[in-house]
Amino acid sequence: MTEHLSRQYDADLEAIRSRVLQMGGLVEAQIHSAIECLANGNVELMLRVSENDRRVNGCEIEIDDACVHLIARRQPAASDLRLVMAVSKIVTDLERAGDEAEKIARMARQIHERGRLQIPRAADVRHAGELAVAMLRRVLDALARLDAPEAERIIAEDATLDDAFRGIVRQLVTYMMEDPRTISTALDIVWIAKAIERIGDHAKNVAEQIIYIVHGTDVRHTAREASRYGQGEPDGAE
Amino acid sequence: MPPVWTALLLRLLAAVLAGLTFGLAFGAVAGLSAAAAALFIMLLAHTVQLARLQRWLKAPVEREIPDAGGAWGKAFADLHRLLREERKARARLEADLEVFSQASEASPDGLVFLDADDHIAWCNRVAEQHLGLRGERDAGLPVSNLVRLSGFADFLAGAREGEALTFRPQDRKGKVYSIEAIRFGRDRKLLISSDVSQIERAETMRRDFVANVSHELRTPLTVISGFIEHMHDDPNPDPAEWKPQMDMVNEQAGRMLRLVDDLLTLSKLEDQAQPPAEETFDVRDLIYDVSAEGRRLSGGRHSITCEVEPTFLKGSREELRSAFSNLVSNAVRYTPAGGRIVLRWNLRDGKGVFSVEDSGIGIPEEHLPRLAERFYRVDRGRSRASGGTGLGLAIVKHILLRHQAALEIGSVPGVGSTFGASFPEWRVRPLGARRD
Repeated sequence: MTEHLSRQYDADLEAIRSRVLQMGGLVEAQIHSAIECLANGNVELMLRVSENDRRVNGCEIEIDDACVHLIARRQPAASDLRLVMAVSKIVTDLERAGDEAEKIARMARQIHERGRLQIPRAADVRHAGELAVAMLRRVLDALARLDAPEAERIIAEDATLDDAFRGIVRQLVTYMMEDPRTISTALDIVWIAKAIERIGDHAKNVAEQIIYIVHGTDVRHTAREASRYGQGEPDGAE
Repeated sequence: MPPVWTALLLRLLAAVLAGLTFGLAFGAVAGLSAAAAALFIMLLAHTVQLARLQRWLKAPVEREIPDAGGAWGKAFADLHRLLREERKARARLEADLEVFSQASEASPDGLVFLDADDHIAWCNRVAEQHLGLRGERDAGLPVSNLVRLSGFADFLAGAREGEALTFRPQDRKGKVYSIEAIRFGRDRKLLISSDVSQIERAETMRRDFVANVSHELRTPLTVISGFIEHMHDDPNPDPAEWKPQMDMVNEQAGRMLRLVDDLLTLSKLEDQAQPPAEETFDVRDLIYDVSAEGRRLSGGRHSITCEVEPTFLKGSREELRSAFSNLVSNAVRYTPAGGRIVLRWNLRDGKGVFSVEDSGIGIPEEHLPRLAERFYRVDRGRSRASGGTGLGLAIVKHILLRHQAALEIGSVPGVGSTFGASFPEWRVRPLGARRD
């Protein structure tokens, strides 16, 4: 980062980045707990996930506020402006990923309250969930290090998670056809798998913003670049 | 007086003398001119040396220090010496730093040095592994940006001595690290991360063990106290009427006794590192004893046979009898009536192998690795009904470990199981072989 006349300005910029990363860490823990809930049906943990979601939402508002203040007071230019703009988009993605975590915890609670101990495809869902958490963790590391090549790799990896989601759905369909009594539980599982897949998409969006911070001079150009990595999926479809 | 001044005075004196000589010979004007010329030459010489020094200072290379005579030569020589000393001091410092960084690398704990703003200054390789850092690349980044642990920022800000934070990385299952922050120097910090996974695991095992023991003791105790309460309420108990209940109380008390005995055996085994009183004995006697014991327990419901190669075995006879008889009684317990049990002792590649083969119910493969854990049960109801304490195999494993022997378990559900113990070469000697 370039040296500024005001040390305070540098400190402000750095503080914003640190807060985003802290928020990311919280979301990461949320997703991890939510997936844990699904496996062990721990009601206390489920409630804690719902409780913590409020903290995540609070973070989003605070950081957005800090961004607006910084723009108003310092009129950042060039890479600083890119950082601030990207951060305000990243917090939205992180907040939504947090919502997905809360959704997973809620679904897990429903499934366990229904008293079904045998959860179909539980291992696959868990695996996909771990994949999503790993993606988010790596993207946050890349944001801390401003590591664009790593961000590109993460964008490419999102396809694996999409495949995992499709695989789970396919198997659940056969499961439901064999025994219609399992439909309601199986549908909940589909929702959970979808939420996990969405978390992967949010991680991918964050990765795109990292590329924008590092290289980007133009948003549209970066979007085109990113969609090439995402194997031609148009941005609007997500 | 410093030599520089002496030299200057001498030169000035020479100039004055030259002026005086010329002045006396050719008049005042010529004398002053001569003195001025001498001073000018002196000034020129100094300026040339000064220029050389300035040129050298722009690109200071030790070997190219200018050389000169007189006062300048002395100054250049001093400069040379100064540089040499500094080079030596730097080399010493670098060596010290190298030793220090090697020592830090050798530490089994992760070390991260933080600057005043909690940015990473340096970390060793263990810390990279523990905390997911990348040494040189991450230098200068705020540590809390990379270790995104809830409460970590507060922990860093507080950094009180003796306070540790537990870190369970989500990408590495079962790994637990303890992080400590220590202040040093002027507002710098040192993070120390240590791998406490083993300690945690041991702690969990201990907790499980206590819970298991309590549970195992509680069940028979509940039965006993229940009957006693009933009897208490009976105004005039009739012994004949209470006979079946008394039998049950007796049975449950026996179970508790067995459990406590096994626990005592285990704790004794754990306390002493070495088996007491090792002796060399004929393994046939031991196996025949154990098989007789097995026949008594079986009460004729199984066919129990022995196939033994005559061998001497070195070890604690008492402990090995306990281990072997545990294996045999397990076989009797888990083999349906009419089944067959074979006790074998043979030599395989010099190793002595004791095995008990049964035609029992067998054990599904996924249970095999955990079978020797305390209170581990494949089928809770069945093993308790057959009178097991859940500690038998744990005791066997312990005894075998003390004899450097390995427990080998093979099983096919529905066909039968084989429990074997293989003893190292130096513990066995075929009977009839010459003693050396």
